[in-house]
Amino acid sequence: MKELTASELARRVLHLVVSLFILLTVTFVIGRVLPADPVGAIVGELADPAAYEAMRARLGLDLPIYRQFVIYLQGLFRGDFGQAILTGNSVASDMLQAFPATFELATLAIIISAVVGVPLGLAAALFRDSFVDKFARVVALVGHSIPVFWFGIVGLVIFYAALDWVGGPGRIDVFYEGMVEPVTGMLLVDSLLAGETEIFWNALSHIILPAAILAYMAMAYITRMTRSFTLEQLSQDYVIAARAKGAGPARTVTHHVLPNIAVQLITVLAISYGNLLEGAVVTEIVFSWPGIGQYMTNALMIGDMNAVLAATIIVGFVFMLLNFIADIAYAILDPRTREAAR
Amino acid sequence: MKHFSKGLIAGAAAIVLSFSATGVNAATPDDQLVIGTSLAQVLSLDPQQATEAKAVEIMSNLYDRLVKTENRKIAPQLAESWEIDDKGITFHLREATFASGNPVTADDVVYSLGRLLKLDQASAANFKRIGYKADNVDRLVRAVDPRTVRIDLSGETTAELLLYRLAMCVASVVDSVEVKKHVQDNDYGNAWLRTNSAGSGPFTLKRWTPNEMVIIEANDAYAGGAPHMRRVIVRHVPESQVARLMLERNDIDVASALSAADLKTFEGQQGFEVQRVPTGGFYVLSMNAGNEYLANPKVREAIAYSIDYKGIEQTIMGPYGRVRNVPVPEDYEYAIPNPDWHFDATKAKALLAEAGYPNGFSLTLKTIAQTPRIDLATAIQGSLGQVGIKVDIQQGNGSDIIADHRARNFDLLIPQTGAYMPNVLGSMEQFSSNPDNSKEANNAGNFVWRSAWDIPELTALTAKASLEPDAKKRGEIYVEMQEKFVEQKPAVLPLFERFEPIVVNARVKDYVGHPNQLTRLEGVTKASD
Repeated sequence: MKELTASELARRVLHLVVSLFILLTVTFVIGRVLPADPVGAIVGELADPAAYEAMRARLGLDLPIYRQFVIYLQGLFRGDFGQAILTGNSVASDMLQAFPATFELATLAIIISAVVGVPLGLAAALFRDSFVDKFARVVALVGHSIPVFWFGIVGLVIFYAALDWVGGPGRIDVFYEGMVEPVTGMLLVDSLLAGETEIFWNALSHIILPAAILAYMAMAYITRMTRSFTLEQLSQDYVIAARAKGAGPARTVTHHVLPNIAVQLITVLAISYGNLLEGAVVTEIVFSWPGIGQYMTNALMIGDMNAVLAATIIVGFVFMLLNFIADIAYAILDPRTREAAR
Repeated sequence: MKHFSKGLIAGAAAIVLSFSATGVNAATPDDQLVIGTSLAQVLSLDPQQATEAKAVEIMSNLYDRLVKTENRKIAPQLAESWEIDDKGITFHLREATFASGNPVTADDVVYSLGRLLKLDQASAANFKRIGYKADNVDRLVRAVDPRTVRIDLSGETTAELLLYRLAMCVASVVDSVEVKKHVQDNDYGNAWLRTNSAGSGPFTLKRWTPNEMVIIEANDAYAGGAPHMRRVIVRHVPESQVARLMLERNDIDVASALSAADLKTFEGQQGFEVQRVPTGGFYVLSMNAGNEYLANPKVREAIAYSIDYKGIEQTIMGPYGRVRNVPVPEDYEYAIPNPDWHFDATKAKALLAEAGYPNGFSLTLKTIAQTPRIDLATAIQGSLGQVGIKVDIQQGNGSDIIADHRARNFDLLIPQTGAYMPNVLGSMEQFSSNPDNSKEANNAGNFVWRSAWDIPELTALTAKASLEPDAKKRGEIYVEMQEKFVEQKPAVLPLFERFEPIVVNARVKDYVGHPNQLTRLEGVTKASD
């Protein structure tokens, strides 16, 4: 692992920009060759060809594709993502609506999955082939193999319709709608900022089920990886030595294993978090969650490329940013680089 | 929240408190109506632009038109009375104000109709078809005085047909003073009106968050008196099973866009009412007459005999449709009885042999991947297979299938239609008029042109009916049109009359689905739990 110097940082930032540009180009080309017809979506099925052509020209779709791309890039440099066909708003303002909803959901989900998944993986490795290990394996298998759509519906049937423990689909009960001034766009945070605890609890009751379901999916992966990382460390000489010196399982884990698998764990968590932030389309649809996954899907359906591109950029950027942060975390947490820095 | 009145917050807080105090199942408040549906296709709430069903349902509560249709008849809305003469119609407006406080005047009516034709999108198609264009609308539609509007006949229509068009959502009257403030780049305020409202209807648009919800609020200045519902919330619930759970839990009051299986659970269930709202439209099998096989009327007749209409009605269509092979609902005045088309493999094979294809052939069938059309496609594939026509189904999303339809790029395709007025012409015109079938005409907005079906005789008859002022004579032409249509073995074959099934919580009173999605909500009330 390389040490984090200024030139290394600059190299990484450049890397980020180039990756984003490639991502943009590919998305743009794919979007333009798709058979979706944004003009038809706007003018309607019965429009005559003249009206159709007029709208095509207004959207700039009559220009050659490379010209469209250049115009798009020029807009980007001015911070203008263009207008979404789907909503008529500027794409930037749509993103400010959709992204916080996804961000809130993904963040809660990754917290739950890390808090439950990592200890479960550690326990499974420490007590290999015990009941805990088998239990962890079943949990992971189920999480991996059952479709999220089914999970979502069944979760709603049980916890919302039958038991009435959680709020239903949507981010909040309808009569609370619009009562909290959006600051961050995340209802849990905004309601607390406004001192509206009642709204906070309501929003929490709505988010907890989709977040738990997403967390379960992510947890399956996190538990499995934690278990195998830990097993690998447990067979190392230093652990055997520690054990021989009389360290109990708890001390072995906290003082010896955890610091050594921290770096790998961070990678796993960052990947899981990135996947969640892409917007879990199916979960968002089942739970009528107005996040970026649903926004992107609907935009793609009608060929609304401005919206799709902006969403791709944001998701791509977040993904790369997470990678970037994980890399920095390596440098700080990895005992070898830490030593080298000293 | 800045835009919220304190009263409303207090009211909402009171509702919340009452719920937490009693701890009952959270139900929707008594003065708010919550509708669950799919808002994925709602792209605009500008009445002179949007024609999508869900958008129309919302806009018909934000705006008034001069007249409306009620039980298939024309009834007053903004116009309290009108006189018809040979040359046109003179409307007398009732006293009304827009939500902005501006009075509704003749100028607003003139501006709105001009706006429709000058924006010139699909929404203008029905007016253009009867001779109203961007370049003559200023001459034909005039303000006589602030409360009187004169609309001259274009020469291509009768007064009756014009009135029905004026009852459509696209003829909504917008607040011209308000809209003109928001014009940019000569767009007639379109960019602004897409996401705002400027009408005189019972509600005003409060908020529209795409893929989430539309909130409309009572307009206290509404001429008919403030509606009972303070707010109507239209929620985006794309999953049918989820909508069903929310209905059962009283989190939504009305659900449309439910799947057949979910609808079934509400039939006969206490506390819910299932409405089959007629649309006057059809599920259609479009055949491309430009295809070498389908150009032959014998082949088209063979196909008409290869579909198990009754069976499909029972197993697939259920609440969505009723067998009908003439593009006029059976209960319309002058509708003819259904022709004797039914599943008859022997007869269909004989017809194919006569046409010179005893061994059958292969076709593609394109459809939108949506209930019930996707199941319909599978059923058609099965029964056509039995007579030797091998069908390959290609499914897609709305926009690519429609683009293929417009470009004549298909063999078979399953579109759906709706009636814009509740009479023979309103439901049938799009099946019987194709003024120029040449490819160069590129008349992609025309339903028959897309099937490349050349029908000069029917087209002439349709034009004649549109101009016949005498009701009895017009009725005779209506009958002749339908008979000719059946005789010619249509390339646009109606399969089922189309219904929009909706489920309404029994607490909700006077929610009556309108055949053209113009369901008004001002009279809706809710019983307390």
